[in-house]
Amino acid sequence: MRPLGRVPSGGAGAGAGTAGMPEASGPAHPGGLPERADERLVLHVDIDAFFAAIEQQRDPRLQGKPVIVGAGVIASCSYEARRFGLRAGMALSEARRLCPQAVILEGHAQVYRCFAEEIFARCREFSPAVETYLDEAYCDLGGTARLHGDPFAAAARLKRAILDSTGLTVTCGLGPNRMLAKLAGKTVKPDGLARVPASEAEEFLTARPIEQLPGVGHAHAKTLRSMNLRTIGELRALSADVLEALFGAPGRLLYERCRGRDTAPVHAREVPVSISRETSFHRDTADRAEIEGMLEYLASRACRATRELDLVARTVSVRLRYSDGEGAERARTPSRASDLDPAVIEAARGLFAALFTRRVALHAVGLTLSNFRPAGATQGALFEEREAGRRAALYRAFDHVRGAYGHGVLVSGRALHLKGRLEEDRHGFRLRTPSLTK
Amino acid sequence: MRSEALDEAVTVRADFQGGAVTPVAFRRRGREHRVVRVNARWIDRVPRHPHFYFSITDDSGDVYQLQLQSGDLLWWLDAVMVDG
Repeated sequence: MRPLGRVPSGGAGAGAGTAGMPEASGPAHPGGLPERADERLVLHVDIDAFFAAIEQQRDPRLQGKPVIVGAGVIASCSYEARRFGLRAGMALSEARRLCPQAVILEGHAQVYRCFAEEIFARCREFSPAVETYLDEAYCDLGGTARLHGDPFAAAARLKRAILDSTGLTVTCGLGPNRMLAKLAGKTVKPDGLARVPASEAEEFLTARPIEQLPGVGHAHAKTLRSMNLRTIGELRALSADVLEALFGAPGRLLYERCRGRDTAPVHAREVPVSISRETSFHRDTADRAEIEGMLEYLASRACRATRELDLVARTVSVRLRYSDGEGAERARTPSRASDLDPAVIEAARGLFAALFTRRVALHAVGLTLSNFRPAGATQGALFEEREAGRRAALYRAFDHVRGAYGHGVLVSGRALHLKGRLEEDRHGFRLRTPSLTK
Repeated sequence: MRSEALDEAVTVRADFQGGAVTPVAFRRRGREHRVVRVNARWIDRVPRHPHFYFSITDDSGDVYQLQLQSGDLLWWLDAVMVDG
């Protein structure tokens, strides 16, 4: 594979675009523009060591040290920690063994959300369609060259803008589709910028390990390696029919992807797929009052987030993780969508009663709302509408008070059990490992 | 390192130049702490009126988190970062 370009965030901005052009882009399109006017162009923005980088910024004494953010497992670790072989998903016990001097922090989800929103706002200045995740975003740059000029230089300017506004570095990959954009970025982490043109997609992919192909997880990789297929290029030897026979319908996608083809569009995702709230307990517990109290509290937080987006959710799911590592999850779709605490809590309690069947303490509990509709788009029974309107107004008033004074000032039902047992701040109860929607 | 919650309303001297707010000093327990460095700043836009957060290092080398609630213009000393 030929080397790809690298433009640090602190580089020379637009000028760096040309200086840092990847050789792979070639002279046919020296400005980094697509080869054809109708060619798609996707920018993948990945925040480098996201949580750990923020913690190093918040406390400069952490800079240069191996920093881990996580509870139970590593959610994010600094590049200093990665030099010891640490990586996201690794158990903290293993991480401590490999790097005893690492600083371990439990994390601050609300802070990370604020930084992510700032970064995504910068992305929206460069792209009309930005699909966001916890620590990455896909930006559709198709047709933006007239407005922002050379896309490679525009990406360099975006990196600089993000560094200036947040102090964080991001790695950017440009490609004719989402898959190639993301893979291009992976070759220049951290703080890099690279581009793979459509004409060089196949060559770019050929020697890459099979595990890097989206859709190839541990199980698929094991199957393919047992067939002596180790690289993406070698996967091309299999026909679409063979791949479908091996992996079902996703096999056809793999057939396209190993040739650099990915037609998935970039969605701005105004409506989220799901809203989750979950946490582990400060101490594993089998106390139903404590668990149900936490579940109701998480449900009320998720409902509040749903109301803030003017949505109603149809599906409620509850997730349990036992202290022995076993998990259980179940979902329910009531006949009517709702954004109000009582309806969601009732569904959540029913699910919890059906799920919590083992005589083992719980380590963590979580709740997810999904299957969203715009609020007001659902049809209620004629004589119930006045009551529903009163309830909606009541909960919006609750949200207003909670916004001003913190979520913990208004708790009800079983969540009252948490009062006095958990520390509180102006955002609500201090959970052990609060986790927001990915 | 860990953060220890303080949640104290404090008096802050701040610079509002250039459309951005920057804390210059704050008074706690009768002592003025001069801000020698703003380590990080971020904004929570979820509340109706945004909350502005700052991680700062004071003249003693201690690291604090300050918050300005733009609705009522109240400053809060959220936390101090401590060893251990």
